[in-house]
Amino acid sequence: MSRRHKISLSEEELIAALGKREKIAAEALYDMYSASLFGVISRIVIDTDTAEDVLQDTFVKIWNSFASYSAEKGRLFTWMVNIARNLAIDKIRSKDFKNQNKNQELENNVTFIDEKRNTVYNPELLGIKVLVEKLKPEQKSILDLVYFKGYTHVEAADELGVPLGTIKTRLRMAIVQLRKNFN
Amino acid sequence: MKVEEVKAYIESGILELYVLGDVTPAERLEVEAMAVKYPAVKDELAAIEKSLELYAKANELEPDDSRLENILNSLAYNSDESQISGLVNEARVLPIVKAQSNFYKYAFAASLALLIASVIALLNVYGRLKESTNLVASLQNQNHEIASTVSLKDGEIEVLRDPSFKLLKLQGTKISPAAAITVAWSPVKKKVWIDMATAKMPSNDKEHQYQLWALVAGKPVDLGVFDSDTTSRDMKEMKSITLADAFAVTLEKRGGSPTPTMDEMMVIGKF
Repeated sequence: MSRRHKISLSEEELIAALGKREKIAAEALYDMYSASLFGVISRIVIDTDTAEDVLQDTFVKIWNSFASYSAEKGRLFTWMVNIARNLAIDKIRSKDFKNQNKNQELENNVTFIDEKRNTVYNPELLGIKVLVEKLKPEQKSILDLVYFKGYTHVEAADELGVPLGTIKTRLRMAIVQLRKNFN
Repeated sequence: MKVEEVKAYIESGILELYVLGDVTPAERLEVEAMAVKYPAVKDELAAIEKSLELYAKANELEPDDSRLENILNSLAYNSDESQISGLVNEARVLPIVKAQSNFYKYAFAASLALLIASVIALLNVYGRLKESTNLVASLQNQNHEIASTVSLKDGEIEVLRDPSFKLLKLQGTKISPAAAITVAWSPVKKKVWIDMATAKMPSNDKEHQYQLWALVAGKPVDLGVFDSDTTSRDMKEMKSITLADAFAVTLEKRGGSPTPTMDEMMVIGKF
């Protein structure tokens, strides 16, 4: 498929088009969010083909259950990324996936994927990438566990061997750090 | 709620967990109610959401372009109603779950059938084992009987083989001319046997018994009592004695008497 011109809509326009189930909404959704969603899915599901299957499932679920999204309760991406993360976790916890032995440790995942592929150079993201670099290691590890590996904060506390309160504080501090990008 | 309390709520970390979808349904409702009530909470949520969206963007990966067509083809658009209902009804995970539950159902049924079959087999085997045990017990009894018979017969054969045994046929007296009994006596072994197989003694009642006597230098010595038994094929061992001139049998009261009742002498034999 030859690369066509990417469609970009405002979040309000996209939500309106999604509500009407217009084809342009599907294309815009893909152009605007597929890479972000695929980034999250790929760090949970390592195998590329399986991760792309989960991405497709994610789009189908977003499309079919869009009526349950409420713009008053949050951003569209927040709703979508939670769908993607849940489907990815369901996939790696499913019996047929476990049998294929495709699980890997998170620490390996991120470096593994970052070495394997060149992410697209985007000057708009320089600011946030600098801030990510400034995250303390313990902030980065908790953020990656809950955001990219789909751990609950309770599971993360178990995994890292620190109290729940500490997990919550570190998570908040990590996000506060990222927020300096647009403050 | 005071300003400080709202601030503490914001700083508790619950809003971050809400955005990550890591809250209980009750916590979710609480956060949503707080967001409606306090603009500070709503703004905080928006800031968290934006930063995490940017974080995802900073970590984005491009899927293979060939997927776009697949994805666009798997979505139902508003011009195609039949496809919509087809997709709405789609439940990808269900067949797996169903197959699993069927598997456990069949596995359970199979286990149950196996259990029942095992119990029946066990009862069968138990019944046979019991029969066998009974059979072994009755065979053991027979074996004992045979062994004791054999040892008795061995004793009888010894009497016949041993040259020290003397055989003496006691003959009937006037009161019972037909009576007779054979006594085997070994002075060396000090043993006295009577042969019940060839004995011809009139049957005695329950109050009386025959008593065997040895006459030693004219005096009677008690050698024990016996009953008339026409069916017996055995020899019966009596009390021992080393010297005897004659043997006699009298009919006495059951258990025997200290001295013989001469009027009731049935048989007698002398050497």
